[in-house]
Parts: sequence; C-alpha cells; structure tokens
Amino acid sequence: MIAVQISFFVLAVATIASSIGVIAFKNAVYSALSLILTLLFLAMFYLQLGAMFIAIVQILIYAGAIMVLFLFVVTMLAPDQADETRDRIPWQRVVGIILGIVLVGALSILIFSGNNPSLIATHAQSGSLSHAVATTGNVEAFGNALFHGFLFPFEVTSLLIVIAILGALVFGRRA
Amino acid sequence: MPHPSDLMPLSAYLTVSALMFAIGALGVLIRRNPLIIFMSIELMLNAVNLSFVAFSTFLDSADGQMFVFIVLTVAAAEVVVGLAIIVSIFRTRRNIDVDDMNVLRG
Repeated sequence: MIAVQISFFVLAVATIASSIGVIAFKNAVYSALSLILTLLFLAMFYLQLGAMFIAIVQILIYAGAIMVLFLFVVTMLAPDQADETRDRIPWQRVVGIILGIVLVGALSILIFSGNNPSLIATHAQSGSLSHAVATTGNVEAFGNALFHGFLFPFEVTSLLIVIAILGALVFGRRA
Repeated sequence: MPHPSDLMPLSAYLTVSALMFAIGALGVLIRRNPLIIFMSIELMLNAVNLSFVAFSTFLDSADGQMFVFIVLTVAAAEVVVGLAIIVSIFRTRRNIDVDDMNVLRG
C-alpha cells in the first residue's frame, strides 16, 4: 500500500508548512487562513486514521465555527496592529527560537528512544474499536463509547460551555 | 480495508504532532500579537489531538477520540473567552501588543 504512505508524507509536509505559515505571516488574516488550512489537513489525517466522526467535527467546529470567530475578531482589530516592528525586549526572539529547538530535540528523543512495543496486539477482538466499527458503524461506535464510558465528562462540558457563554457576555458588555 | 497501523508506524504520526506542537510553542514565544499567540495555542491543542487520535487508532480503543472531543469543547470555550478578553483590552487601550500589557488594571 504505497498510496497511503505517499499521501501521509504529502499531508505531513503540507501540515508542517501551513503551521509554519501561522506563526510566520506578518498579517494576522493570512495567519488565520493558514490555520484553517492546517485544520483541514489535520481532518484528512483523522480520515486516514479511521476517525470519521472526529474529522467531520474538526471541519465543522474548528475550521467552521472557531475560525470564523477568529477571522471576525482579526478583521475587527486589524487596522491598528500593523506595526510589530518595534521590539521592546529584543533578546526574546533569539531565546524563543533556542527554546523551540530544545523542545523539538526533547520530543524527538522521547519519540525515538522509548521502546516502541507493537501496540496493536488486540486486533479486532470484541470490545475493541475496530470490532465495534466493523459491526455497528463509525459514528455508532463513537456514540456508544461516549455515552457509556464518558457520560459524566460529557455532561461537565455543557457546564463549561455555559460558563464560557456567561464569561463572553460579561466581557462583551459595554461597561 | 487494512488497518492504518499496518501501513504507517505510530512514530510517524507522533513526529508530525511533535513538530506542530513545537511550532505552536515557538509562535507563543516569538510573536507579540495576542491573536497570533491564540492561533499558536490552537496549533498546540491540535497537535495533541492528532497524537490522541493516532494513539486511539493504534491501541484500538475509542478513549482517545473521547479526549479529542473534550479538548475540542475546551478549545471552543477558551477561544470565546480569550477573544472577548482581547476585544475588551482593545477597547480600553488602542494597541494590542502583549509586551505593553504589564499592569493588572484597565
């Protein structure tokens, strides 16, 4: 299956390139558009990994709702923040780049030095995800796992959303 | 359809995830526009989501996708409150450079 590997590498290069674009563009609108592109590529990664529901939710909520909110605020605040030229703390960029390289090194040591057991020992047993997907379907397997094992966290997220709405109302009020 | 873990190793997905996380952390460190800092935080959250989904597929368990679902909700709430804070900062002082926000009053 060479096609999967080719598509993985194309997706990986495109994802890394567009996420570099997020932090490299001077204009915040371009950064937001680049972030939308990154999120769409990630949705394709999720499709490749077989997580259909997460991929669709990623496109609908992230690339749709959240990024529209971002673009709305960016275009609302855009005119006055064009000058990022004057730097009050000039050494912080150098230190930031050094720390970023250190982070990449540490993460790659973690990924490549640990003993990598063959995780997929329980292939297609009953009770595993691939078995549930094969017998009931993708969204059904997700819903069963969500409402049987993770019902309490799911309900807590509704409380979180209510708090976020109240916070946005308090901040948005013209005081 | 063959299982994805038969075709690509787990470390490939984790490498993409680690690179995205590092780029996001770098963005938080070197950019001074709070909107771009927020986008970098989104980048880091999505990098973690990618490794969650990869682990979920490779361990053949749905738990990782649940975590992604919760992270998605938390990210939406965080963006709503954070953007509201940025807009209200912009209302009181007309520039939004994070280096200028060093006092805890309006």
